[in-house]
Amino acid sequence: MTTGRRAAAVALALLAVVGAFLLGGQLLRPATPSDTSAEAGFARDMQTHHNQAVEMALVVREKSTEPVLRSVAYDIATSQSQQSGQMFAWLTMWGLTQTGSGPHMTWMSGSDGGHEGMSGAATGAPAGAGSGMLLPDGRMPGMASSADLARLRSATGRNAEVLFLRLMVVHHRAGVVMARAIEQRTSRPEVLSLARSVVSAQTSEISQMDDLLSARGAAAA
Amino acid sequence: MPRPTRTTDSKAVTAREKSAALRREHEARERRRTRLIVLAAALVVLLVAGVVTFAVLRERANRPSLAGVKTYTVQQGHTAKAVTYAQTPPAGGEHDPVWLNCGIYPSPVRNENAVHSMEHGAVWVTYRPDLPAADVDKLKAAMPDTYMVLSPYDGLPAPVVASAWGKQLYLTGADDPRLAVFIKTYRQGPQAPEPGASCTGGTDGASGTGQTPSGPGVAP
Repeated sequence: MTTGRRAAAVALALLAVVGAFLLGGQLLRPATPSDTSAEAGFARDMQTHHNQAVEMALVVREKSTEPVLRSVAYDIATSQSQQSGQMFAWLTMWGLTQTGSGPHMTWMSGSDGGHEGMSGAATGAPAGAGSGMLLPDGRMPGMASSADLARLRSATGRNAEVLFLRLMVVHHRAGVVMARAIEQRTSRPEVLSLARSVVSAQTSEISQMDDLLSARGAAAA
Repeated sequence: MPRPTRTTDSKAVTAREKSAALRREHEARERRRTRLIVLAAALVVLLVAGVVTFAVLRERANRPSLAGVKTYTVQQGHTAKAVTYAQTPPAGGEHDPVWLNCGIYPSPVRNENAVHSMEHGAVWVTYRPDLPAADVDKLKAAMPDTYMVLSPYDGLPAPVVASAWGKQLYLTGADDPRLAVFIKTYRQGPQAPEPGASCTGGTDGASGTGQTPSGPGVAP
């Protein structure tokens, strides 16, 4: 072996060490979403979103005596707390905290395969920042305000039912947009599966709630 | 065929010496090149190791420490009676069956209800009632919109105290950078016995006090 070949061999060996070091770092790192990933952002924001739906459903169930509306509320409360628990478990299994560092919806401002989702243009806020998707008081789209919730708690009978339906239709619409947004940003099967469930369940519940609104002679939300 | 006689031609000798010298020169050049290549590769390895170490160390140095967090073993359990808590403010313990709705409260809340919310994964941030209004606003801005309670508290051992179930941190004020880290770590954190249980649908603070509910303010 000539010295030239030996030098090349030594250099190659050293570079292989570097390569293995870098590649090993990539491969050995657990293949789970990072703290700032879209998946983590979705899991955190959607829990908050779902938990408010559970809250509103439980409030109206105590106020309504109409069996169909009570069933819808029961369905929303149980299915969304179950889904919320799934997202809680993802974060735990990914070794991440339930609480993020940035504002809500930051995960929706990243690359989305060309879909705009809830863009700043739609809300009149500057695009590009996660907080740009939030309502002026910092709420995520679709979330009922504290004032809305207070009105729901003090309403009775048909008024409570109509207010609930209107708030929940708006809530569901935003939930569907969030679920579609994560579908564009992830390839993780557990996340895709839940996102698809959210889209199909909430889309059909929106049309059911629209029917319940018209049955009460109320305008659609 | 006669073997060729050993040449004594001076020209031939010179040629041999020349070629030997060339070979030596070539080998020396090869050795220098080998050393250079090995050195360069070693430098690359060192550089990569250095950059990685630097990044890791800087990341560690920039992270505010939660070393000041005190950990307590606290009891679970429901009681309608008033409870005397071992910490001020309480960092867990027996509590009222009804939890406090999460939110921002302008006046003190009942311990027994707030402790129940911490059992459900809420972080309870308390501040001295004489904390300047601008600092209270900073605290409000630092609150996530769920699983958080913010309220003034009489007789605090520090200007601001952050508490979660079994965890507590005395803060120097509203600007203490450890507040955000405490919230990120313990809000719905693994120390909470019942994370994900409701932080709404409980009481706005009137339970057991006979006072008019103050109600949580509008969360940011």
